[in-house]
Amino acid sequence: MASRDELWYRGKCLERIRGHGVARQRGSRIEATDARDDALMRLCGEDMGVLREIAQGIGDGRVRAIAVARRIDGTIVREKTMTVSIRHVSIVTSPELASRDAAFLRELVASEAKMAFRKLPILWKNGSAAVLLHEAVGHAAEHAAPRVEWPSWLRVSDEPAIAIDDCGDEPRPADLLSEPPSCSRRESFRDVPLRRMTTLVARQNGAVLEIPDEHIEVHLVAGGGYDALTDTVLVNVSIADLVHDGKRHRMRPFKILEPRTSIAKSLCGATGEPIRYPGVICSREGQEIVVGSFAPVMMTS
Amino acid sequence: MSEIYRKHGRVARFEDGHTVIVDEAGEAIEIGREFEARPLEDKVALPDIDAAAVERAAHEIRRLVKPHRIERLIVSDGVAEHEFNGVHWTEASRRIHLSLTHRDFRVLIDRGDFDLHDIERIASALGRAQAEREAPPRIRTAPNVSAALLPSLPTIAPPSVELWQRDGGRDGKGKPIREEQLTSPPWSNWYRPSYRVRPVRMPFNIQARCEVKTVDTDVPQAVAILAQTEGVMMRVLILDGEVSYPATVRLSRIDAVTEEVTWYPYSAGALGAEMML
Repeated sequence: MASRDELWYRGKCLERIRGHGVARQRGSRIEATDARDDALMRLCGEDMGVLREIAQGIGDGRVRAIAVARRIDGTIVREKTMTVSIRHVSIVTSPELASRDAAFLRELVASEAKMAFRKLPILWKNGSAAVLLHEAVGHAAEHAAPRVEWPSWLRVSDEPAIAIDDCGDEPRPADLLSEPPSCSRRESFRDVPLRRMTTLVARQNGAVLEIPDEHIEVHLVAGGGYDALTDTVLVNVSIADLVHDGKRHRMRPFKILEPRTSIAKSLCGATGEPIRYPGVICSREGQEIVVGSFAPVMMTS
Repeated sequence: MSEIYRKHGRVARFEDGHTVIVDEAGEAIEIGREFEARPLEDKVALPDIDAAAVERAAHEIRRLVKPHRIERLIVSDGVAEHEFNGVHWTEASRRIHLSLTHRDFRVLIDRGDFDLHDIERIASALGRAQAEREAPPRIRTAPNVSAALLPSLPTIAPPSVELWQRDGGRDGKGKPIREEQLTSPPWSNWYRPSYRVRPVRMPFNIQARCEVKTVDTDVPQAVAILAQTEGVMMRVLILDGEVSYPATVRLSRIDAVTEEVTWYPYSAGALGAEMML
């Protein structure tokens, strides 16, 4: 594999990190060296050229641009990722969607957050329910957590958009409500491949959505976690509005920490097709990987 | 002014049932606010690492902790040659990170060597864990627990103790780590866990010192941490005779610290001793 990683702040490059290496696995032993594959480095260079142009143009924030190229049994897989942060709020995007997502982020961080959290029904907009389900369904599936009763209208699957996984196996979709992801992934040649999500897609089939007058609307999530030992889910909400009498009030960041069974019971409605959520960088066992995230508008009580 | 750091490293790591042997070299260049890191083409000869010793330690840990569930086990042995602006030094490091669960309890264990006595003792105490209780008014903390607490203490240490950086080794910029009292940042030394990340100022080899050096061995002992420490709050497993239980401890005073210390890999290193709270 080969990688290029650059950190841009207000249009100026502050960090440039290049990497390359090879991992060869025989049985349970992996031998890894930082040997260079010139062809992969060239591809990374090309991809970073595209990312750099966009990063340079985002003059009001911090951008981490990462280009990775992998060769697995002769198949090349390329990834281009950008994390854009403005006023300490981040999104994860691609070069194709970066300017649209950055504009969306600017709009969201423009309002001053004043309202404190209080328990109300939550409308998960903008695909943000994918983060909740990433933790409550995806990571739980990775850890073979006991089954819980999810609404019958809910489908959550991992739908790989890659030709080959990091162990050379053919990816296949996985129904995360009943099985773990099928793909093995690793952050770098130094890492052990793990069963990880690639693209989480939540869908609804026949759900009803009734929105109470007073509720919270979640737009962006700063991160989360799933604790397999206690079977609890944590979601850190970074941008949300309290909606009351048709008026919106920006809320201060808050966290949701609930048992997974409570999350499942609280899912009470959904509407429409899955919406792309701008970004999940998933960290497990110290390995950070990008996971695509899609979910319809959903409600938790 | 530019600063150039180079590292050649070899490590054998046991993780998730695999043994990973990594050989790599890289350099980091800092010019003002700009940082650049890349692999190095030219290699230096490094001593061999005994991957079998790493695997043996991992298998022994698995045996010792039965029937508990291993949530995460990483055992590693590595060697590195460092160079910073013409200064050369060598480092060898052994690490164990173990996350062990029993019912709904999790203990976190870190070691800077392959001594497994702590692990055996903690696994035994975990097996006898009863329901959560209030922490007793006086406890001792085992060296591994004290060490986990030390990195958060330099700016909030109770008045009865002094926090010191013990000398030994070089920092991420090749500067010798000298003995000095830790009172407030900026710290004198730089921590650089990898050539791919910017070094940050951090105290090394942190040690708590107290005029009273004897602890009451009849007092219950916190033998392991159950979660990462947060400031002065600790979730710990307390061993009281034959009984053990989880409790939350708020550090308000330290009455005694023993002189014998063990090095633990918390932050840039902490020297754990038995402490009386």
